Amino acid sequence: MIDFLQNTIDGVMTGASYALLALGFTLIFGVMRRLNLSYGPSIMVGAYLGTLAHLHLAAGPLGVAAVTVAGAVLAGLYVERLCFAPMAAGAGIAAMVSSFAIWMQLEQAAILVLPRHTYPFPPLASATAWLGPFLLRLDQLIMLASALVLALGVQALLYGTRFGLALRAIIGNPTAAHLVGIDVRRATVLAFALASAVGGVAGFLVLASDAQVTPMFGMWATMKGLIAMMIGGLGSIPGALVGGLLLGVVEAQSQWYLGPQLRDLAAYVLLFACLVWRPGGLFGAAPVRDLARGRSL
Amino acid sequence: MLELRRLTKYFGGVRAVDGVDLTVAEGEILGLIGPNGSGKSTIINLICGLFPLTDGEVVFRGTDISTLPPHERVALGIARTFQNIRLFGQLTVWQNLWVAQKARGQGRGFLRGWLGGSRHDRVAIDKTLDFFDLGHKRDELAGNLAFGEQRRLEFARAFAAKPSLLLLDEPAAGMNAEEIDQLDARIRQLRREGVTIVLIEHHVELVMSVTDRIAVLNFGQKIAEGTPAEIQTNPLVREAYLGTQTAA
Repeated sequence: MIDFLQNTIDGVMTGASYALLALGFTLIFGVMRRLNLSYGPSIMVGAYLGTLAHLHLAAGPLGVAAVTVAGAVLAGLYVERLCFAPMAAGAGIAAMVSSFAIWMQLEQAAILVLPRHTYPFPPLASATAWLGPFLLRLDQLIMLASALVLALGVQALLYGTRFGLALRAIIGNPTAAHLVGIDVRRATVLAFALASAVGGVAGFLVLASDAQVTPMFGMWATMKGLIAMMIGGLGSIPGALVGGLLLGVVEAQSQWYLGPQLRDLAAYVLLFACLVWRPGGLFGAAPVRDLARGRSL
Repeated sequence: MLELRRLTKYFGGVRAVDGVDLTVAEGEILGLIGPNGSGKSTIINLICGLFPLTDGEVVFRGTDISTLPPHERVALGIARTFQNIRLFGQLTVWQNLWVAQKARGQGRGFLRGWLGGSRHDRVAIDKTLDFFDLGHKRDELAGNLAFGEQRRLEFARAFAAKPSLLLLDEPAAGMNAEEIDQLDARIRQLRREGVTIVLIEHHVELVMSVTDRIAVLNFGQKIAEGTPAEIQTNPLVREAYLGTQTAA
C-alpha cells in the first residue's frame, strides 16, 4: 500500500510535467485546429540555449529559465511562420507534415551543432523531504505547483479576457471573427507564443530535475504532451491537466508493478482505451474525427 | 463617404459583380435590391474585404481600401451583419459584443485592447443590448437564442464596433411583421445617430419605407438607381425584379 501511494505521488509529480506539455499543445490545437509535431523540438532548442547560457555565461537557475522560455518562444514562432502561417484553412494535414519536417530539421541541427549530445542542465532544487513514510522532492513540488498555476492562468485568460474571447471566437468561426474586426493573424501568433512559453517552462522544469539535456528531448516532449492531451481531450485545459496527471500515475504504477519495459506500453494501452471509449478524450467536447474534418466545437 | 468604382468580381467564369459604380453619401440609407444571385451580397463582401477584387476600387472617405484586410476595414468604421447568421455560439450574448467592440479612444494598447476594456466600454455594451432588446439575455450563450434574437444580436454586434458605415445583409429575413416594424424603427434611430447604412433586403415594404435611395442590380450590373418612388415606377426594374418576384 505504501508502495502504491508512493508510486502515485511520484506519478503525479511526473504527470505534472506531462500536464504542462499538454497545456501548450492543447492551446495550439484548440485555437488553430493544427497539430504541431515540432512543439517538443522547439522546446529542446530553448533548452539548449538555456544550457549554453549556463555553461558559457554562468547563468543561474532563473537566468537559465528565462533563456529557455525565450528560446522556446522564438523557435515556436519560427515553426509557426514556416509550417502554419502559409497553410490555408483546411490544409491541416499539410501543416502537420511540414511540422514533422521542421522537427527533423531542429533535431538534426542539435545533433550536428552540439556533438557532445548530452549537456548538463543546472538543477533547480535538489532538496527532499519525508512526509510520514513518503519521499517528496522539492523540484517536483515546484513542477506540480507550476502546472496548477499555469493551467488556472491559461483558463482565466481564455474565459475572462478579451484576448481569450477573441481566440474562442476564432475557434468557433474564423471568417466571422475576421469580419467583426479581430486581427486573426496577430491573435494566432500570440497564442502560439503563449503555448511555446508554457512549453518552455515545462522543458526547463523537466530538464532541471533530470539535470541533463539530449537531442532526444524534443521527441520525448512531443510524445508525452501529445498522449496526455489526447487522453484529456483536445483543446481542453482541465483535460490537459487531468490527462497529464493520469498518464504520469499509470506510468509510475506500471513501472513499479510491471517493470520499465512495459511502462510505455501501459501508456499506449491507456491512450487506446481512451480513444475507444471516449474518442474526444476525458474532457473533449468533440471526437477527434470531427475536429479533423474542421468542424468547430 | 463610400465610392465603388467599376467594382468587378468573377468567380471562375461567373461575373458575380460586373463593373458596378455606386456612391453612398454620408448619413443616407441606401437600399440594394435585385433578384437572387444578382450580386448584392458579393458587393457587401467586397466592401468588407472577404475576398479580393477582380477589378475596380473600393474608396472609403477618400482613400482606396481595396487591399486592406477585413479587420482593418472594421477599425476604419465599416461593420456588417450576415445573411446567414454567424454568431459566436459558444460565447454569451454579452461576450459576442465584447469581442467585436471598438474600445473608446482607439485604445489599441495591449491591456486595454486584449485584456479588458474600461468601465465606460462595459456600460456601452449594456446600453447597446438594451437598445436591441437583448438586455435580459446578456448571459445566455448566443447559440441558444431564438432565431429572431440571433438576428438582433447580429445587428447589435455590428453596432458595437461603432461603425460609421453599417452594411445590413437581409436583416429582415425570417422575421414576422412585428419584428420588421422594430427593425425599421432601429434603422431610423441609427441614422439619426449619424450612421450611414447600406441595406440589402428582399422585403420590399421595408426597403421602400426606410431607404433614401435605392440601387437595383441584375446579373451583376446596376440597372437602375433613384428614390423609392422612382424605382417603383421604373419599367426596367419592374421587368427584372418587382414584376416577377413580388406579384403581391
